[in-house]
Amino acid sequence: MASLRDIRKHISSVKSIKQITYAMKMVAAARIKRAQNAILSARPFAEEMDRLIADLYGELSGDDLYGTEAGRLFEERPADSPLCLVLVTGDKGLCGSFNTNLLKAAAAWMRANRGRKIYALAAGRKGRDFLRRLKGLDLELSHELVGIFPKVTYAHAQILKEAVLKLYDEAGVESVTLIYNEFKSMMAQHVVTDQLLPLKKHILEAGPERPPRRTDFSFEPQKTELLGALLPRHIGAQLYRTLLESQAAELAARMSAMEAASKNAADLIDGLTLKMNKTRQAMITTELNEIVSGSEALNG
Amino acid sequence: MDKKHLLLTIVTPERTVLSGKPVDSVAVPAAGGELGVLPGHAPYVVQLKEGMMHYKDGPNKEFFSVLSGFAEIAPDRVLVLAEAAELAKEVDEERARQAYQKAKDKLSFKPADLDLEEAGAALRRAAARLKVAEFQRKRRRQQQ
Repeated sequence: MASLRDIRKHISSVKSIKQITYAMKMVAAARIKRAQNAILSARPFAEEMDRLIADLYGELSGDDLYGTEAGRLFEERPADSPLCLVLVTGDKGLCGSFNTNLLKAAAAWMRANRGRKIYALAAGRKGRDFLRRLKGLDLELSHELVGIFPKVTYAHAQILKEAVLKLYDEAGVESVTLIYNEFKSMMAQHVVTDQLLPLKKHILEAGPERPPRRTDFSFEPQKTELLGALLPRHIGAQLYRTLLESQAAELAARMSAMEAASKNAADLIDGLTLKMNKTRQAMITTELNEIVSGSEALNG
Repeated sequence: MDKKHLLLTIVTPERTVLSGKPVDSVAVPAAGGELGVLPGHAPYVVQLKEGMMHYKDGPNKEFFSVLSGFAEIAPDRVLVLAEAAELAKEVDEERARQAYQKAKDKLSFKPADLDLEEAGAALRRAAARLKVAEFQRKRRRQQQ
């Protein structure tokens, strides 16, 4: 049986762990508000952007696009060219299964595409470390973005966008896949595997029903050129949204993980306190017993 | 509304700067030169470059720095999609000047790994912000 001293030590160490997890929970809770606001304030821009692209796209026919900078982002590429993976993870652990689930999804994706050259872009330290550890795959870590959470700005998305487009242009990758955590609610995150490039045409037509446009716009510069300038920004906005989602999801995951940890620590402390009291009681009883039996032996 | 107004909306990826504010006129730095917009302007979509935009709302004139984007102009509203937009009073002149100096140094020093296009863009951005900041200062002095 553990001595009283051991139990006391154990209790104090659990207490300090609890303090830390509780503090981390509070920090995550404070930050998540800001992360959610960031998602909300990024929305109008993305919506207006999508609408503008859809309007422009509606004005053009497929032939107009062919061979232009904008058309390039739409066209299908041969199926045996390399692939590109953008993996968005957290920078730090202690957030439950947030990173594990992501890495599992990434591993599954790589297994599905075994034998093909993969260019990987990692946002977040955990994903980068994971990709670096991998062996026996034709994988090249071409860009990494580390230490950006929890302060993602549009500039980060732009850096990522440029890296993606550069790969898309120069390495001739067939498609660019995004793996990230979507922020569903405070309690639930959801791993998403999404295709970023080539742009799917139905993205443009999907979305809420739009009233047909009444006015004919003039454009400066020409439509195709304008679209060519718009689309990279659209990709930037999409990457920005992805980073923000992942950031909010990470904070939410950390908050619930740390809350569970604090609760477990409290339970543990309760159990240990009970055990300590029992041990102390047992010690007192033994001592009393010894005194009584000793005096009886003397008197006897 | 007895008088004609334009509804001005400015959004950037990070925030909505203005949302449907009724103004009298808007001037935006279009790729081919500054473009003034009054109510009833022909529908127009235009690419913007880094520069200064301003709007007039009665006697008030408000200035912004805009760092590349797009403007969609309809007869009764103007929508500006910019990568960044800052109110003139929010621009920190000292910081803008430092950024400008840094970009300029970088261009003249020409390190081996210099991306010319990017450095040039950085310089133009810094110049736009600096211009807005200086303009704001002058205006303030005039008012005093």
